[in-house]
Formats: sequence, structure tokens, C-alpha cells
Amino acid sequence: MAHKRSVLTPTLIVIVGFLTVCPVVMLVFGSFSTGLGAFGEFTLDKYVQAYADPELTGIIANTIIFVLGSSMVATALALLLAYLNTRTDIPFKFLFRIISIIPMMIPHILFSVSWVLLLNPSNGLINLMLRQIPGFEDIAINIYSLPGMILVEGLLDLPIAYLILAPALASFDIALEESSKVCGSTTLRTLFRVTLPVLRPAILAAFILSLVRSLASFAVPSVIGMPGRIYVLATHIYQSIATGFAADFGKAAAIGMSVLATSITLIYIYRYLTSASEKYVTISSRGYRPTVIELKGAKYPLFGVVGLLSAVLIVLPVLVLFYTSLVPYSMIPSAKAFSMMSWKHWIEVINDPISLLSLKNSVFLGVVGATLGVTLSIFVAYAIVKIRSHASGILESFSFLSFSFPGIVIGVGFMWFFVRTPLYATIWALLIGYIATYLPYGVRPLTSAFIQVHSHLEESSLVCGASAFTTMRRIVIPLLIPGIVSGWILMATMFVRELTLSVVLSRPGTEVLAVQIFRFSEDGLWGQLSALGIMMIFISTALVLLATFIGIKFKPLEEGG
Amino acid sequence: MKKLLAVLLVLVFVPAAYASDPDIVKNAKAEGQVAFYANMTAIQPIMDVFNAESGLDGKYTRISTSKFLPTVLTEFQAGKLMADVLQAPLPVMQMLKAKGVLAPYTSPVAADYPDWTRKDDQIQTFGIEYVGLIYNKELVKPADVPKRYQDLTDPKWKDKIVMANPATHATTIAWLIGLKENVFASEAEWMKFVEGLAANRPMLVKSFGPTPAPVESGEKAIAISMPKYIITKAPAPLDWARVEQPLLGTPRGIAVSSSAKNPNAAKLFVDFWLSKQAMSKLSAEVGEYVLAPGVFPPIDGMDKAKVIPIRTMSDEEIRKWGGTFKKLF
Repeated sequence: MAHKRSVLTPTLIVIVGFLTVCPVVMLVFGSFSTGLGAFGEFTLDKYVQAYADPELTGIIANTIIFVLGSSMVATALALLLAYLNTRTDIPFKFLFRIISIIPMMIPHILFSVSWVLLLNPSNGLINLMLRQIPGFEDIAINIYSLPGMILVEGLLDLPIAYLILAPALASFDIALEESSKVCGSTTLRTLFRVTLPVLRPAILAAFILSLVRSLASFAVPSVIGMPGRIYVLATHIYQSIATGFAADFGKAAAIGMSVLATSITLIYIYRYLTSASEKYVTISSRGYRPTVIELKGAKYPLFGVVGLLSAVLIVLPVLVLFYTSLVPYSMIPSAKAFSMMSWKHWIEVINDPISLLSLKNSVFLGVVGATLGVTLSIFVAYAIVKIRSHASGILESFSFLSFSFPGIVIGVGFMWFFVRTPLYATIWALLIGYIATYLPYGVRPLTSAFIQVHSHLEESSLVCGASAFTTMRRIVIPLLIPGIVSGWILMATMFVRELTLSVVLSRPGTEVLAVQIFRFSEDGLWGQLSALGIMMIFISTALVLLATFIGIKFKPLEEGG
Repeated sequence: MKKLLAVLLVLVFVPAAYASDPDIVKNAKAEGQVAFYANMTAIQPIMDVFNAESGLDGKYTRISTSKFLPTVLTEFQAGKLMADVLQAPLPVMQMLKAKGVLAPYTSPVAADYPDWTRKDDQIQTFGIEYVGLIYNKELVKPADVPKRYQDLTDPKWKDKIVMANPATHATTIAWLIGLKENVFASEAEWMKFVEGLAANRPMLVKSFGPTPAPVESGEKAIAISMPKYIITKAPAPLDWARVEQPLLGTPRGIAVSSSAKNPNAAKLFVDFWLSKQAMSKLSAEVGEYVLAPGVFPPIDGMDKAKVIPIRTMSDEEIRKWGGTFKKLF
């Protein structure tokens, strides 16, 4: 077993390294090369130009506020929703579960545009409604601001945080909380002194993943930040690429290197903070039974609060999308708007000649990609958590490499890499690119799930004569089901709406839904884009239901109690 | 039977329709397919007509302007350029020409195009990405519609304008420089206009794509944008300001790739693309301003507008001005 373990980590380093290091290495070459490609004469000019920019200080300050703020919003909201959904008897749980994941299913640019329609200071719907209230006639809440950016990015990152926290909460050992209560603590004190500290790895994982994601995010900074003249690193990078016709992705990569360094530092901080992993084990051999806390009198008031919060933050923007998909052009709701509604945009999208092919390709990439991605993630997470060696630290950093790079740059890194392989312009390039870039979506939920499984369980199985494979199949994987389901949902929904790699790597025959998204958004056709966005929500919801259903079927432990 | 019919159609109609060399038509048929890279919108209907009429299998890939050069150069340098024909803004095409990506081809179909569009032996200019002022008819009274570009500096437009970010958006930067060189009497007068425009705090967006939506919805009243949105966004209440000065835009070019796997099909496609039939479709369906004689987008008054091309600027020049505009806006 020890031998097998010692072979596992290096093997995974080779696989994950191949997937994630190659495009990043190409970008490193590009950042040190003259010209526009990956290979040219050596130069430091791109770094000098990138970092000597006097505006960089202000941009970094904005970026720090933006990523910290949005990650806090995402983690706090996710914690609240995950706690209520998995640990309490709040009604309509399933609805909340779907609502928490919805922002993951929509192209981010569309969710951001939806918020602009709701909260722009001129005629945002919420502003218009508030102005009807006496005393608020002059109100103009401005989405084009740092708080606006933080709110929308926080909501977009909510599903990531939720899907990491929910499995951790679902497998929480009640005995810890009971001991606390027996010793005289109140429920609230137990929550803050026992529950939350034990969940530290999952909370930190959710927070750090949100940080890394918001650092690489481009939709919110461009749709909400730019009109308010608030620039963060992602828009700064875009500026360096887009100004002029010959986009220098090498220079963009030079700026991206600092984002990458920040992300890797964060991963190491996370490892350090959760180094004593034994403290966080909640599923041991002594019985494991996640239980439900009765909210009693607080049940319906809490339901009301969470329901309202979900309605305003997530359901309303989706309704705006639906509305936008029915009106002929961008217009505020009025009798005229309602009289002009039709299914025109929907019909156009459905009749699009490449729609069917791209739909098929996207669903294939979602299902096959997520399945392969989660399989790889199980091994990677196992190596990271159970074999805490120096090499597993390298593996963990590798798994984050492509993910941490700003989206607009990493696609070009993959192109520079794939063009040197026979995979270029095939669907497999997209499949590999997706898995490589979004590997943390599988690894993170599984890492926090693995942390909670005590090694005694595996050891008992091995002592009883089971092979390592049987132990993994019969003991470990069933305990990991909530994490596997979370990882699969995150990856599948991401792959269905993936944009940044797709627009660079997709070619005739390998079109994916993103090709349409890109086309509609470049042409400002929000009606068609919204119709497509809603269709994507349906497809992803079907995938989420599928994953949840399979998860329930394979989770005898939780059912049996 | 269908195939035979298609071959007959090609032999009978194609040479007549776009006056291609009969050898090209024959060899193109043998090649059987053509791949087209473009940065433009709504090309599929034109591809469909080409495929139906030529019997070839034409496929197109849309690549955004910012990724056009890196994508094409990456493929070209790796010996894997998949495109037989390339279409992009003229400055991009000229950079591709400098890198040896393009092949010489003078299409007989372009013979009646304006002389200035045929000056290059490799790139044929066929359209202008024209920029204009589009406004919301329901919000702006006829008397208030700008009659000159300078009218945009009137304080009544404060917080009512939307435009692509002049610090980053190359086409907008080139447009502003084009105004300096073609419209304003002096640099001082032009600078006064730019400063006045900036003082009105226009909302800045990433590119032209997001400019019409705020005008349609009434969030803003007027946009520095493209008049073609009047067609693509119909029935939105959009119209264009018929300013007394000319409209300006970056020329669009098309060329055959030097590493085309289907060189004859590529030439046949370029001939078809430049034909009145294809250009009329492009103009009518997506409001493009094309240079095929007598073809105009179906936008009221556009046939009388003076639309002139902006000269090609180097990226250094665009970045330098982008930096200046960033400080001003």
C-alpha cells in the first residue's frame, strides 16, 4: 500500500502537470518573448512595461477590495444557505438548493447585464420602483460602483462556495455539537465555538476558491466596473491586450503571473491553516449520522428571510433575463413592452443552424468532461489530503495553475500548446482544456470531503483483507458521495456555459454553446442571448437533477442513518 | 442526381454570376471545400448561398478582433493555418500581409469597386466599419438631434451618452483621430471637442456591442456607435444623427491565405464575397456599409451620406492616443 501511495502522487503530478503546466509554460515563454507568439527573442520588456505602469497601485487596491469583498459575500451567503439547507428543517430545501446553484448556470456576462437593468442609476427597475415611495423620489442606487461589483461577483461565486460547504455540513458529526450542548452551551454558542471551527477547512476552501475565481473574473469588471471607471487587474489586462489591433498576450501573461503567484501563495496559506487535518475529521469509525436541527418557532420567519433574499438576489435577475428574451429590444417594462412580447428570439436561437450541433457538443462536454474530471479529482484530492507530502503540495498547486490565470489569457495559452499537438481543433482539445482549467471545481469539494473521513475507516478495511481499490470503492467513495455530486455539478454546469477557452479553441464541427453566447454578446443581441441563457439554465438544471438523483441512489449510509 | 445538378449549376451560373476564371471554378470544384475566418457578424446566410450555388462546402469561424491576429499567426507559424480566406479590419490584414500570411489575388469582380479599395495586390477592401451617432427617437426631440459632432459637447448631454472606452477600444480611438484629420479645422478645435465630450461623462463600455442596449432601454439617450444597429435592433426606436460632416470608419479587407489548402476555392469564394449579390445581402441583413457600387444599407438617408475610410494607424500610435484619452475621460 505504501508503495502504491508513493507511486500515486508522482503519477498524478505527471498527469495534472501535463494538463495544467503546458499552457502556463507557453504563457511564461510568451511573456519573455518579443513579438506576439510564444517563442521569440528573450526580452524583459513586457514585465518592465507591465509593472512600471504608475496606475498599477490604484488598480491593485481596487482589486483587493473587489476580490476580498466578493469572496466574503459569496462565502457568508453560501454558509447561511448551506447550513439551513443541510442541517435544519427549513421548508422547500430543494428549491433553495437549485437557487444557490443558478448563478453557476448562466453566462456571467448575462447575469451582470441583468443586474445593470435592475440597478443602473438612470432607469434601473429597482431604482424606478423605489422612486415611487415618498421620500425616495431622487434615489439612484448605482450598480456601477465597487459595492455593486462586489455584490454581483459575490452572487456569481456563491454556487462555488455553496457546493464546497454543503457536503461538509451534510457529513457533520452531531456528537461534537451534542457534547457542547451537554456541557451547557446554547445553540448559537455551539455554532460559533464548535460547528464553524470544525468546518474551517471547508470555509477556507470556499473562500479561497472564490478569491481565485473573482481574481480571474472578467464579466463583472467589464460590464459593471468599466462604465463606473473602476478598473481591476482583469480589465487592466484586457486593456493591455485590446488597445491596438495586435493583441500582445505575452504582456497580458506578464501581468497574469502576479495573479498566479498570489493564487499559489493562497493555496499554501490554506494548506498551512488546515495542516492539522485530524482536527477536522467528522466521519470516524464510531458512527456517523448527520442530523437535522429543528428550527421550531424560527422556521417560518427564517424561511421568509432566506426566501426574500433568494428572490431579490437570484430569482429577480433570472426573471429579468426571461423578460429580456421576450421583448423585441432592451426596454423597461410597460404596457407597450408587454404588448410587443413574442417568442421571436427563442425561435431564432432554436433555428440557428449550428445550435443543434453546439447543444450536442456542450452536453457531451458537460457529462463526459465532468465525469472524467471528477474521477481525476478523486485521486488528486486523496493524494492531497491523505498523503500530505511535499509532492502533494506541488500537486495541489498544479491543480490550480490554469484556473488561477485570468480567463482571457489562459485560452491563448492552451491554443499555443494545442497547436503543437494533433488535438488542435478537435473536441478533445476542448475536453482536456476544460478539465485542466476547472480541475479545482472537482478537487476542492472532494478535498474538504476527504478531510472529514478518518483514515481508521480505510485501515479497518485493509486489515480485513480488502484491496486498496475495494477499500476505495466500498468504503471511501460512498462517504464521498456529497463531495462527488458537488464536484460533478460544478464541473458539468461550468462546461456547459464555458466561454473563455471555447472561443479560442472552437472550430467548425466543434462548436459549443459558447460560440453562440460570444456571437450574441459581441453583436449586443441581448434578447437571443437571454433566451440561450434560460435554455442553459434548463440544461444545467437537468444535469443537477441527474447528479442529485444518482447521488441519493448511491448514498445508503446517509439514508440508513 | 442532386450532385449532377449542382455541377451543372456551377458550370452554367457561377462564372456568369461573379465572373470568375473558368479554370478557378473547375479547380475549386475539385477541391470541394473552403474555410473562412472572419470577425464579422451574420455571415452564415451568405455561406449558405455560396454553398448552394457553388456546390462547395464553405465553413466559417468567427474570431473576435482582439484574438484574430494571435490565432491566425499561431496557426500560421505552426504550419496549421486552417483558413483559406481571411477577413478582418484593414490594419489587421496589413499586419498579416507583413508576416507573409496572405497571397496575391486580384478579383475580377472588384473591377468596378472604387480605385482606392484595389490598391493592394493582396488585400481587397470591401466595406467600412462606419461609426455614427445613434439616438433614441422617443427620448431625443428632432430639434435636439446633433447636427455636428461638436454638438455632443453641449452640457445637455451630460450623463446621457454611451460610447466604447476610448482608452482601449482601437476602432473608437482611430475614429477620434480620424475626426482630427478629416473633420476638424485645427487640432485645438478638435481637442476642445474631445475635452467637451469627456466633460459630459459618457458611460464607457468595452466595445460597440454593448453601446445600443442602454440607448434602446432609455438608460442613455445617444451613443457613439454603429448605424447598422438600426437594422439589427429593429424595431428599437433608434435613428442616426445626419451630421453635416462625413461619417468615418475603419476599412474591412478580405484576402486569400498564402498557405490555403484550397487556393482555387478560396479565390472563388473571394469573387463571390465581392459580388453584388453577397454584398447586398450583407448590407440588407446586417446594415453593413459596403463598397460594391450602388449598394447601400437600407437605412434612411445612408445612400446620401459621405462615408470615408480612416487611414491605418500603427498600434504604437493607437496606444499613445489611448493613454491620452484615458487621462481625459
